Amino acid sequence: MQDVTFTVADGEFMVLLGPSGCGKSTVLRMIAGLEPITSGTVSIDGQVVNQVPAKSRDMAMVFQSYALYPHMTVYDNLAFGLHRRDIEKAEVARRVHAAAGKLELTGLLQRKPHALSGGQRQRVAVGRAIVRDPKVFLFDEPLSNLDAALRVSTRNELIKQQQEIGTTSIYVTHDQVEAMTMGDRICIMNQGRVVQIGRPLDVYKNPADTFVSRFLGNPPMNLLHGRIGKRGDRSVAHLASGDLGLPMRTASALGRHDAGEVIVGIRPEDVYEFVPPGDPTRFEYLPVRVEAVEPLGAETLLMVSLDGSDAEMIARIGRDTALRRGDRLPLALDTAAIHLFDPATTRAIA
Amino acid sequence: MHMAVRLVIERVRRVPLALFAAFYTVVTGGPLVWVAMMSLRTTAEIFRDPYGFPSPAHWEKFADAWTKSNYGTYFWNSTIVVVVAVALVTAVGAMAAHCLARYAFRGSRIVRFVILTGLILPPQLVILAMFQILLDVNLYNTLTGLILVYVATHIAMTVYILEGFFAQIPQDLFDAARMDGYSDFEIFWRVTMPIGAPAIFTTVTLNFIVLWNEFLFAVVLLTDDDKRTLPLGLMHFTGSHQLDVGMAATGLMIAMLPIIVIYAFFSETMIKGMTAGAVR
Repeated sequence: MQDVTFTVADGEFMVLLGPSGCGKSTVLRMIAGLEPITSGTVSIDGQVVNQVPAKSRDMAMVFQSYALYPHMTVYDNLAFGLHRRDIEKAEVARRVHAAAGKLELTGLLQRKPHALSGGQRQRVAVGRAIVRDPKVFLFDEPLSNLDAALRVSTRNELIKQQQEIGTTSIYVTHDQVEAMTMGDRICIMNQGRVVQIGRPLDVYKNPADTFVSRFLGNPPMNLLHGRIGKRGDRSVAHLASGDLGLPMRTASALGRHDAGEVIVGIRPEDVYEFVPPGDPTRFEYLPVRVEAVEPLGAETLLMVSLDGSDAEMIARIGRDTALRRGDRLPLALDTAAIHLFDPATTRAIA
Repeated sequence: MHMAVRLVIERVRRVPLALFAAFYTVVTGGPLVWVAMMSLRTTAEIFRDPYGFPSPAHWEKFADAWTKSNYGTYFWNSTIVVVVAVALVTAVGAMAAHCLARYAFRGSRIVRFVILTGLILPPQLVILAMFQILLDVNLYNTLTGLILVYVATHIAMTVYILEGFFAQIPQDLFDAARMDGYSDFEIFWRVTMPIGAPAIFTTVTLNFIVLWNEFLFAVVLLTDDDKRTLPLGLMHFTGSHQLDVGMAATGLMIAMLPIIVIYAFFSETMIKGMTAGAVR
């Protein structure tokens, strides 16, 4: 864990996103008070809480495994945290029933966790956090044990809950779709460091480095190695299969970047089989050879290799394409959507 | 047709298994039935026909054993010693196992090693030391002394079994309880103990059976007749000069009864505890 600094505003939904092992869960556990902090500080409402035990931080956590007590009924699981806080029995019952009603658990209150489905267990875990009415919700990959369909519906349910309750939340996930759809802001981590913080679409549109560019987006951004050159007064990138004119907005940054080598990044959806209507000067063409065609129904993924090299690229094109493996064609790239990265540091240029 | 053939094959396949089960039952259950029959017959009857059926059944032998042979006292002594020792060894062992399974404290490996060496020391090796220590602290020939020795000698196995089980309880449950505001001891009491119940029943049952039958420490560390436990009481009938087989059988039945009850009561949870993998 190195140099992890971020602030979560009151009522904000912050997502910690990163591949497994990047340290995001450890950060969450440090915030919760479950993991000791060797250096640096964690503050809540301006108070440093490094020495405050977990139970006094007024946070509730939803665990990946749900961590339901197997020997207790759903009711007791929900009430367990309240009993400890000297809350009157009637108030405990009121809160438990309110949360159960909200999460559609009312009929299940007398069941034990082993008699619940995965989705029901997940709701109990969320309910256990809600009844506490804490200052902060902490979520540690709460959807990763659900099947795909249930994950989508539960995700929407969680978003709704959070918007209703408005409690500050920190949500850890390795799923970029969850991060994009749920977070007010995303904090992307890699190898124990924070790489980029920002609103989901801002981060998607302006990745700080090649790691973020590939981690957000599915399929990930295409990265092509090239050299910077000139075509008239315009900067170009010499790629394996030809030159690619670079947008004017990158000119000043390229001026500062004198290495010559560059990584050109372009998202699959910014690569076209047919140039869309509008300003045709925005587009540059690269000759490619089709290696594979994957029709997904709503769209088709095109795996291509750049002519004269083994560099590969993925394009997301319309579903009604007639392209076949082995076809050669020029693909249109939207230069306005091109990103440039420094191969030495992998950081974005411009 | 097809179904019927399959059913027959299925049954035939089970024959060897059934034969083995029957053989095993005879080997283990046979002696038990034999002793049970002998416990209702007099020694003279037994010598006349060792495998005979008890007719008439001498139920009064149980009353005789209980009153005339001091069995009431032995039974009471055994009950006190075993119940208290099992309660202590369970409480101390569970707490130790919880700590070893949950906390990575400095020296935890050494503590675990020292406790578990108790598994490999045969009782014959420590009995002289126990004898000397009990003499020094004035607990020789007392039930309290025997209880303490039983706790000391059975803590290792108890910790060994419980730690293995406790370590499988997911850490998230403990973290959740911590977030919910519970202290370390409350977490032990309200999370570890209930979830570990199958393992705890296992150790309770095992310790109860082993201690109920324990002979070596009892015979060395107790001398007064009115402090003796049941296994020592049985010696009465099998003295060096005479062998009252009939009464010995009656005494055995009395001694066995609590174990059979305990086992019948806990066997299912005990098997669950021994075979249960992770806690779901």
